[in-house]
Amino acid sequence: MDIKSLIKSTSVEKRVEDAVNRSHSVQNALNAMVSFIDPKDQLEALGQLSKNLPFYGVPVILKDLVNMKDTRTTGSSGILDNYISPYDATITKKLKEAGAIIIGKSSCDTFGMGGTNMTAWTGPVHNPYDLSRMSGGSSGGSAVLVASGVVPMAIGTDTGDSIRKPASFNNIVGLKPTYGRISRYGVIPYASSLDHVGVFTRNVKDAALSLEVLSGRDDKDMTSSFHPVEKYSELLTGSLMGKKIGIIQNVVDSIKNPETLNQFNDLCHKLEEKGADIKLIHLNEDLMHAFLPTYYIIANAEATANHSNLDSLRFGVLKEGKTMDESMILSRTAGFGKLLKKRFVIGSYALFTENQEEVFRKAQKVRRLIVEDIKRVLDDVDVIMAPASSQGAPKFDDAATDLLSSEYLIAENYMALANFSGYPSITVPMGYVEGLPVGVNLTAYAFEETKLLDIAYGIECTTGIVDIIKEVTQ
Amino acid sequence: MNYEIVIGIEIHCELKTKTKMFSSAPVSVNMQPNTCVNEIDLGHPGTLPSLNKEAVRLSLMACMALNCEIDPLIKFDRKNYYYSDLPKGFQITQQFYPIGKNGYIDIPTDNGIKHIRINRLHMEEDTAKQYHSGDETWIDFNRAGTPLVEIVSEADIRSAHEAMIYVEKLRNILVYLDVTDGKMEEGSLRCDINISLREVGTEAFGVKTEIKNLNSISNIEKAIQAEVIRQTELLESNQVVEQATRRYDDVQKTTILMRKKEGSIDYKYFPEPNITPVLIDSEWLKSIRDNLPELPNHREKRYMDAGLNAYDAGQLIQNKALSDFFDQLIKDTSYVKLAANWCLSDILANFSQKQLLDKSYDLKYTEMAQMINALGKQEISSKQAKDIFVELLKGKDYHLTVKSLNIEQVSDHSVLEKMVEEILNENEQSILDYHNGKDRALGFLMGQIMKKSKGQANPVITNQLLLDGLMKRKP
Repeated sequence: MDIKSLIKSTSVEKRVEDAVNRSHSVQNALNAMVSFIDPKDQLEALGQLSKNLPFYGVPVILKDLVNMKDTRTTGSSGILDNYISPYDATITKKLKEAGAIIIGKSSCDTFGMGGTNMTAWTGPVHNPYDLSRMSGGSSGGSAVLVASGVVPMAIGTDTGDSIRKPASFNNIVGLKPTYGRISRYGVIPYASSLDHVGVFTRNVKDAALSLEVLSGRDDKDMTSSFHPVEKYSELLTGSLMGKKIGIIQNVVDSIKNPETLNQFNDLCHKLEEKGADIKLIHLNEDLMHAFLPTYYIIANAEATANHSNLDSLRFGVLKEGKTMDESMILSRTAGFGKLLKKRFVIGSYALFTENQEEVFRKAQKVRRLIVEDIKRVLDDVDVIMAPASSQGAPKFDDAATDLLSSEYLIAENYMALANFSGYPSITVPMGYVEGLPVGVNLTAYAFEETKLLDIAYGIECTTGIVDIIKEVTQ
Repeated sequence: MNYEIVIGIEIHCELKTKTKMFSSAPVSVNMQPNTCVNEIDLGHPGTLPSLNKEAVRLSLMACMALNCEIDPLIKFDRKNYYYSDLPKGFQITQQFYPIGKNGYIDIPTDNGIKHIRINRLHMEEDTAKQYHSGDETWIDFNRAGTPLVEIVSEADIRSAHEAMIYVEKLRNILVYLDVTDGKMEEGSLRCDINISLREVGTEAFGVKTEIKNLNSISNIEKAIQAEVIRQTELLESNQVVEQATRRYDDVQKTTILMRKKEGSIDYKYFPEPNITPVLIDSEWLKSIRDNLPELPNHREKRYMDAGLNAYDAGQLIQNKALSDFFDQLIKDTSYVKLAANWCLSDILANFSQKQLLDKSYDLKYTEMAQMINALGKQEISSKQAKDIFVELLKGKDYHLTVKSLNIEQVSDHSVLEKMVEEILNENEQSILDYHNGKDRALGFLMGQIMKKSKGQANPVITNQLLLDGLMKRKP
C-alpha cells in the first residue's frame, strides 16, 4: 500500500500506533532501532496542520545521523551516546511540516562509515529475510524497518552506496537524489562532498512523494541547489517505450553468480519487450578498479576533519583527564570503534603535507576523470543500469571476500559512481537469488530525477515486486 | 657587528559585521560570555557553514584600499588542529586562494616614502576566547566564528619605528573603511610580529621569533626594540636565536618565551567541501569600488588643499572620529584653520574618544560653525568664543547664547565713534605716544574701548575708527 492509500484507509492514531508497536516487536529480531521517540507531542501538533499534507500523520524513521531537537542522536557511535540534539535538521523540519510523525532513530554504521551496519554502537542489524545475514549498510536500520513493514518511509544517507545497497538486500526502493537536491544541514556527516540524504520506501511512488517533500534550496547548506523541485509523484507514467537504458557491461561481466545474471538478463528482455532501448555501455575498466581506493581516500580525508568536532568538551561522552588535551584523547579513544580509528588514520595520512599531492589530490583528480567517464556514457542513454549487488545479503561471518577481485572492486562497489558525480541513483527490487532479494540500480544525469523515477516505476511495474513486507517472527 | 633588522607583520582584524562569518549568530560586542552562539559556532554535529556576504564585502573593501589583486572566485580551506578554543577541530580559512594578494601601502619614514608590500589578505573565522584562572580554563565561545581578515606583510620592514608606522597606517585605513573598530586593546586588531636579524649586506634571513599579543601601537615599538636587543646580545655572544613564539612584558620591558616551535604542526590544509566556490559578480565589485569611503591619504590632501598645514592635517586624520567631526564643521565655515585649531584643542579636551565615535554629545556642528565664523570675522573675541563654546557644548544655539551672555556685537558706527572720541579725550598721552611711533599705545586704546563696551565693540570697525580718530588728532 502506498502512502497516499495508507492515509486514506487508516486513521492517524491507528497507523502511528501500529508503527510504534511494530518497531518494538521487531526490535529483538532486527536490532534496528537506536532510540524510540514518543509521538505524543507531534500528534498534538498535527492538529494545527492541514489534513491534505502529503505525510499527514504518516509514521517515519530517521537514520540516527539526523538531528531532531530534544531527541537523542548518537550517529550510532559511542562518543555521542548521550547527545541530545539542540536543533532540527532541515529535513526534520520539512518532514514535520509535511505532517510526518517521527517515531524513532534507526541504527547505522557509525557516522555512516561502513557497508555492513556491523559497526553500529548498538550492534549489528539483522536482515528480515534471513536473520543470520546482515542488513547491509550504512543505513541498515532504516532499510530493515521499511522492509519489515514498521514504517512506509525511512530516511537514509548514502556516501558510497549506503542507501542503494541495503535497499537491494531488503527488497525495497532506495533513492539517492542529485547532490544538492536535499539539504544536508543537520545531518551528521561522513564525507561532505560525497554525502547524500535519501529515502527508503516500498514502492517508487512513495520515493517520488518523499523526494517532493524533502527537496529544495536551503540557505543553511551552501551546496544545496536552486534547481526547481518537480512534482515527481505526479509525473510517473511507467512507460518504457523508447527509453534508452545503458547496461554497465563491466559490472555484469564481473558478476559470477549465474542466478543474479539470469535475473538481470531476464529483466532486460522484459524491458525490451516493453519498448525500452537496451544498449551496452562500457566504463573505463582501469578507472573502475580505482573506484574503491579513490573513494576511501576522499571519504576518509573529509571524515577525519568532519569528526574533529567530537572532542567531548562541549557535548558527547567525556572521559575526564588531567588536562583538556588529555580529556580529548581519552574521550576519542573510548568513543570510537576500531574501524573508525582505522579510517581516521587513513584519512589523516592522505592529508599530510608530504602525502597530500600524491594521495588526496591525486584521488580528487581521479574522481574528476571518473565523472568525465560517467558523463560520456550518459550522453547516449537516459539511465545506466546494473544489478545493485552480485548476490543477496552476506552472512555475518562471511569472510570469504577477495578484496582485490573484480567482483568485489567493481560489482560490489561501482555504485559510488553516483556519489563521485552527485548524479541521482535508485535501487528497486529485481528478483530473488537463492531465496534472497537482489535489486537493480539505475543512475541518471544530474537533476533528472523525474526521468529516473519514471524508468524505475516502469521496472517496478515489470517485476511486480512492489509493496513487499517481510514479516518478522521470532 | 652591524645587524639589519628584518620584520614581517601579520595582522588579524575582526570585521564589523552583525553576524558571524559562517553562522547567523550575532557578533558579540562585550556581551555576556556564551550568549552569542548557536549550534554552528559550537561545532555541533551536522552543522554546515553559510558564508556571510557582508564579511566578503568588507574584505573586498580592505583589498581595494590596500591595493591588492582580488581573486573573484572565493574559496575556503580547512586548517586542521585540535585545541579547546576551536570547536570544529578545524578553522575555515583561505589557505590556497586568498581573496587578496600582492598589495602594498606606503608609509612615511625619515628617508622618505617607503613601499611596504602586502603578501596576502585572507578571510577566516576567529576562535573562542580562553581565560585561565589557576588550574581552570574558562571558554567564551562568543568570539568563535567572528569574521576576521588576516593581512600578511612581506618582510619589508626594517625598524621598530617603521613597524609601528605600518601598523598605525594600516589600522587607520581599515578604520576609515569602517570595516573594523580596530581596537588593539580590546583585541579586535591583533598583531604578530616576525623579527630576525642579519648581518648588514647579507641576503639570507636570520632565525626569526614571533611576538604575539601586542595590545597597543606603542608596545609594538617597545617590544621590537627589546627583542632586537635580546637577539643582538645572543648573536654577539655567539649564541643562537631559537625559533619561538614570545610575548612582550610591559613591566620587565622584555620579551618572554611562550612556546618553542618544535617541528611545526602539519595543519593538513584541504579545500572546504561544504562551501562551493562563489564567483563574485563584477557589478557588485564595481559598486563596492565606486562607493569606497574616503581614505586617510585622500583626506589629508583635501585638508591641505583647503589650507591646513601638513601638521594639522596629519593630526586630524590620525583620529577618524575627530576628523569626521571636523568635516561636519567645515560644511558651514571656511575658516578651516580656526576650525582645525578648535578641533585639536577644545573638542579633544571636552569629548572622550568614545563620545566622538558614538557622536554622543549635544553640541551642534552648525552652531559651532557660526561661532567660528564670528571669530574669523573678528565679530567676537577669543575670550568671548570660549564663553560661548561652554554654552554650545550644552546644545544651545549660537545666537541665543550670544544674546543671553549679553555679548551682542556693537557695530553701529555712530555709537562706536562716540566711544572712540571719549577714550581719545581721556588719553591725550597715548595719542602723543602713538604719533611718536609707540605701537603699544594703539593696543592700549583698543583695550580701553573694549573695556568700555564690555567687549562688545566690533573689533574690526572699532580699529578702523580708532585709526581715523588718531589721524585727525595728529599734532
